[in-house]
Amino acid sequence: MSDTINSKAASVRFEQVSKRYGADVLAVDNISLDIEPSTLVTLLGPSGCGKTTTLRMIAGLEIATGGRILIGDKDVTKLPATDRDVSMVFQSYALFPHMSVLENVSYGLSYSGFNKTETRDRAMAGLDIVGLGAYASRLPSELSGGQQQRVAVARALVLEPQVLLFDEPLSNLDAKLRRQVREEIREIQQGLGLTVVYVTHDQEEALAVSDRIIVMRNAAIAQEGAPRELFEAPTNAFVADFIGEANLIPCQIDSVTGDTANIHIGDYAHTLPARGLTPGAATVAVRPSRVQLVANPTPDMITATISKATYVGVHMEYTVDTPFGPLFAVSGEVDDPFTVGQDMGLSFSGSGPVLLPES
Amino acid sequence: MMRSLCCHNKTLVMQTARSGDVGRPVLIFWIIIGWLGFLALPWYAIEDGFFAFEWLFDGYPFDTDYAPAAFIVAQGEKLWLAPLVLPLLAVTAVIGRPKSDPLYATILIAASGFGLAWLVLQGFGIGLRGWQFGMLESLFGDLGDRQFGMGYGALFVAVSLLFLFTQGIAARGAINGDVFVVSAIGSVIALITVFVFFPIANMLASAFITEDQSYSIAVFFSKFFDDRLWGLGCVAGGHRCGVAWNSLFLAVSVGLLTTLLGLVFALVATRSGFKYKRAMRALTVLPIITPPFVIGLAIILLFGLSGTVTTFVADLFGVQPTRWIYGLPGIMIAQVLAFTPVAFLVMIGVVEGVSPSMEEAAQTLRASKWEVFRTVSFPLMRPGLANAFLIGFIESMADFGNPLVLGGNYDVLSTEIFFAIVGAQYDQGQAAVLAIVLLSFTLGAFYAQRFWLGNKSYTTVSGKGDAGVHPTMPKMLSVPVIFIAVGWAGFTAVIYCMIVAGSVVELWGLNNSLTFKHYATAFSVALEDNGVRWTGAAWNSFWTTIQIAAIAAPLTAALGLLTAYLLTRQNFAGKSSFEFGTMLSFAIPGTVIGVSYILAFNVPPLELTGTGIILVISFVFRNMSVGVRAGIASMSQLDKSLDESSLTLGANSWHTFRRIILPLLKPAILAALVYSFVTAMTAVSAVIFLVSAEYDMATSYIIGRVENNDYGLAIAYSTTLIFVMLLVVGALQLAVGRTAIGRRKSTGQQS
Amino acid sequence: MMKRTFLATSIAAVVLSGTSTVAVAKDKMTLYCSAEENWCQLMLNSFEEATGIDVSMTRKSSGETFAQIKAEATNPKGDVWWGGTGDPHLQAAEEGLTAAYVSENRSELADWAISQATSAGDKTIGIYSGALGYGYNTELLAANGLSEPSCWKDLLKPEYKGHVQMANPNSSGTAYTTLATIVQLFGEDEGFEFMKGLHANINQYTKSGSAPIKSAARGENTIGIVFMHDAVKQAVAGFPIKVVAPCEGTGYEIGSMSIIKDGRNPESAQAFYDWALTAEAQTLALQVNAFQVPANTGAETSPSAPDLASIKLIDYDFSKYGSSAERKRLLKKWDDEVSVLPQ
Repeated sequence: MSDTINSKAASVRFEQVSKRYGADVLAVDNISLDIEPSTLVTLLGPSGCGKTTTLRMIAGLEIATGGRILIGDKDVTKLPATDRDVSMVFQSYALFPHMSVLENVSYGLSYSGFNKTETRDRAMAGLDIVGLGAYASRLPSELSGGQQQRVAVARALVLEPQVLLFDEPLSNLDAKLRRQVREEIREIQQGLGLTVVYVTHDQEEALAVSDRIIVMRNAAIAQEGAPRELFEAPTNAFVADFIGEANLIPCQIDSVTGDTANIHIGDYAHTLPARGLTPGAATVAVRPSRVQLVANPTPDMITATISKATYVGVHMEYTVDTPFGPLFAVSGEVDDPFTVGQDMGLSFSGSGPVLLPES
Repeated sequence: MMRSLCCHNKTLVMQTARSGDVGRPVLIFWIIIGWLGFLALPWYAIEDGFFAFEWLFDGYPFDTDYAPAAFIVAQGEKLWLAPLVLPLLAVTAVIGRPKSDPLYATILIAASGFGLAWLVLQGFGIGLRGWQFGMLESLFGDLGDRQFGMGYGALFVAVSLLFLFTQGIAARGAINGDVFVVSAIGSVIALITVFVFFPIANMLASAFITEDQSYSIAVFFSKFFDDRLWGLGCVAGGHRCGVAWNSLFLAVSVGLLTTLLGLVFALVATRSGFKYKRAMRALTVLPIITPPFVIGLAIILLFGLSGTVTTFVADLFGVQPTRWIYGLPGIMIAQVLAFTPVAFLVMIGVVEGVSPSMEEAAQTLRASKWEVFRTVSFPLMRPGLANAFLIGFIESMADFGNPLVLGGNYDVLSTEIFFAIVGAQYDQGQAAVLAIVLLSFTLGAFYAQRFWLGNKSYTTVSGKGDAGVHPTMPKMLSVPVIFIAVGWAGFTAVIYCMIVAGSVVELWGLNNSLTFKHYATAFSVALEDNGVRWTGAAWNSFWTTIQIAAIAAPLTAALGLLTAYLLTRQNFAGKSSFEFGTMLSFAIPGTVIGVSYILAFNVPPLELTGTGIILVISFVFRNMSVGVRAGIASMSQLDKSLDESSLTLGANSWHTFRRIILPLLKPAILAALVYSFVTAMTAVSAVIFLVSAEYDMATSYIIGRVENNDYGLAIAYSTTLIFVMLLVVGALQLAVGRTAIGRRKSTGQQS
Repeated sequence: MMKRTFLATSIAAVVLSGTSTVAVAKDKMTLYCSAEENWCQLMLNSFEEATGIDVSMTRKSSGETFAQIKAEATNPKGDVWWGGTGDPHLQAAEEGLTAAYVSENRSELADWAISQATSAGDKTIGIYSGALGYGYNTELLAANGLSEPSCWKDLLKPEYKGHVQMANPNSSGTAYTTLATIVQLFGEDEGFEFMKGLHANINQYTKSGSAPIKSAARGENTIGIVFMHDAVKQAVAGFPIKVVAPCEGTGYEIGSMSIIKDGRNPESAQAFYDWALTAEAQTLALQVNAFQVPANTGAETSPSAPDLASIKLIDYDFSKYGSSAERKRLLKKWDDEVSVLPQ
């Protein structure tokens, strides 16, 4: 199977690329990035952050208005989509409704210099990879959503593109199918060693599939790194909050010794890695799971009151009033939850909270 | 070929194929076309027709009447053609260069731009009488030579240069370097310029020409402000108003009435429990496939001085019959009959397009049926009303047949234009002035409508399934609506009975015995030893009409859809003026097209009058806006990611257009085909100016019969046309139906 | 069907040229015809049959044809201009657009036809003529209890109010001939008084010259002022039309023919010219119900055709009333003084 479909995985490089629409809409602002061959890189960010534009510039569906784009060693900045060795899986799948599954998958091959038998063989091989060999003669409308999605993947795969692009490929699937398909995509990518660029606004999906994640915000890159790095060591408040939610609390750094900073929030003192910050105002980002609540406060804790308690099955979600505003906390203790109005002691767990520059 | 060399490495094959220079063969093709035009094909138009090929044996290639440009120049004649060799040489030199070389684009643009400009300049500068402009004459002295209309040689060179120019632009990186899209834009712009803007501008100019062929503004104003155009005698108590006011009043009334009736029929068809609405729907559409003035004839047979109804009423009440039908009432009745169906087709789309869930939402918010209609349904239909009014207005302005037959002393612009050209005055300037007035009315209405609608888009079709059901009309509305609809439909039915009856009686009103002699005169066929001989008088114009309609229809559809594709799918500088240009032809009445075409294409460089080509062209540009609209409507329902995915799969935009867009647009294509075929069969207003003995169209033949008092033959011919069109439309509709089902099934689940 | 003949001729042409190195072009000519379509067609077919010369024909009104010949003067494409009222033919002769030619058949023609030729230096010739008059629908006249008119002045009677139709002289040559006739018959002042009186009785000024009698034929109008041969045509077609030659006398038109100067096929043009003056060619008119009086005295005439000999014809001054200055002046006067009056 994999001897029919090969990989020509190439790197992707953006050098100070910008995309401007008209006079004053800046969709992508001077970004530079490097994508290693045979990796899966996710562009993550809220809608309107420029991630889809970035993807479409790799595809050649948008032409950059500034900077250079290289695929492999080749400068493709001005090359239209047709002439780039890139395939894309669309959010809507964009299967051609008037063609059978096999015709859909063969479509690109017929423009790539293959003869009829080769085209057919390759298309069938592609369908086998996604497990749809038996559906070749069906029309797209006769398939389920998940199957259609896999046809779209097969159609893009068989061209052995230097880069394979996914534009929110899972957003039309239900939650269960989403998990299954994203695992399949990851398997195929790793099995064939493809370079994949993947756009999503779902941070969980991004964390699950990616080798690296590029978080985008307001047409620029907010942070780039491996999933764990982004989750555990965000470099700014936006990333901290966008990936896995965080309470962002203004704090004061009293002193820094080595890599460790002593901070205080009101009367509450805490010690955590300094991450290069110096004494002065800063922000501490605390994930809800790292907020600890106890019914009997000790003096070094923050005094807090439960203002909202929600049962969501696997855990409890609390909104807690504190002297410096409401905090969001979760607790695994579901059998004996706190009640609204109850006075609590609040502290942050030793590892987890991250110090960020003042926002 | 490449594959066999390197089959061990498929990757290499693919890369070669994908990064290969796709544009190269196209470039060479157009260069060859250019040389062919310059070296091999007769440069000038051949009087006896190119395809008679007589020129091949009549002194070709040396006789300057038939010679290719190269041979003419080589003989030392018409040396102004010589510079055209330069751009051809320059572009040929480009072949060796890679596309990425900046010189590639620069040479292509500069050379072909120069070539095109030179072609145009020499074409307009030197005409039948040598220098066309006194200024040139005084500058260079008497030329002592002249030239005729351009022929296939010139056409090939022009087309070649145009596409080489667009390839140069594409190589510069415009539209992502997409050769197909740039060429498509270039050719649509060139076509619209030559066949819409140029004739119109030419007509504008001829309005300023005095009798001694000099230009004068005064002559324009004296014609323009003539009392016969703008007089207000009828208001001031005098005896009649100016022609312009007559036309305007008629068009506004017809626009309002057709819109109202169109709405009424649309409501009956979609929101009533009326039993016979299918039959009624069929009946209301019938006038679309009827040559317009035939309705006028039937009205005379009913309401004329000796008409059936008139005499009956006169006998009944013992009054003198009058000629009341001649004039405003007659034209208005005939036009409302003729144009209501178009308004209906516009309105039904809009009435059906109002999302039922909005109406249902209003109902759940405790609005009564009447309040729902008044506050939700009706306001949402407003854009449709504006569209329907505009169409009725323009059709009425352009209508020629009905005023001719029923006008009486009520003069309107379209007939005045006609008689300024063919009448005893033979005053082209006058015709041009009248045409300008007509054009300003329709353009004014066009703009007013766009201005009024502004950005109020009430499209409520979301593409998502709307499970709701349209509520039926409230009682206080449905009773009068059904009453009007049934009444008008009944009237239409009577008119059509009159038409059929009129074709099978000897001499209407005098000798009502049954006969088929009119059909025999028109369509008799003699079987002889050497096959069938078409002896009927109508066959010639009948076949010409079918032929021209059949040629024009696919061209119209193709141009319309291509334009729609460019408008919906591509972004380029100047797109909004491009859109304006393509939509402009919609607001130009056929009469104006006719006048401007004979003014523009009667003389070199483009001599087209008297050919079949000019008829085809007039239909294509008159009807293309319908193709554009149909295309835009269905293309905006196709997800753009379909073409994008095709592009990322390595297909270029031409492949995408052909393999993805076109197959999915079949319904729109067929709609455009049907419409342009039918209009080409029934159109009168432009045709009447452009027909010639060799290319006579059915409608102008019928008008000739009417003028000759030969009503029987005219009506028999029209009846035949109606049945022929029913057949054609039916056949096409069958095809439409089949594809539509396939498509609905396949896209339905996709969304 | 047409394609097949195309194909056939081009194959024939190929075969012919294969046998002889220089293909001899068949005799051909281009005819500009300004008579009615079917008459033009009949003339063309009969001429082709009689001589074997290929004719391509363009039918346009005489005004249009005149303009076309003028536009093509430096490169004439037509050879013969046949039919249509005499004024534009005379004007073309005056402007030197047509060539002088004296046919051997001229002797067979009536005097009025020859005098048309001599007045223009043989650059045009009369081929038929028709007198102005009017016709009325006998049934309508009776139904309305109207008396039968027989003179121009009868038409001024108040009883005919709303019963008379004529064409608009601005758009129709027939109606201009009417205006010029009345002016010549009664003098300009009285003539215009007549037109004003007539105006009160007119129910519609039609665009085309023959429309008034056609609508009278169909019972849509009672009296129509037209050329008498047009009225005769309706009567022959079976309509209840009676033709009247006004008692005061009347004007007439002379349908003409001219050879276009510097045409491409002068021999063929003369062959057509000669043939068109023959009795057989002029007799053809009967087949298409053209009831004009033929110029060839030997040509057959219809018994229904008006007999010019029995009609009082005025001495119509073609050169004066055909000139564009006089035409403009009269039309303007009519526009200003007559057409604005209430009806």
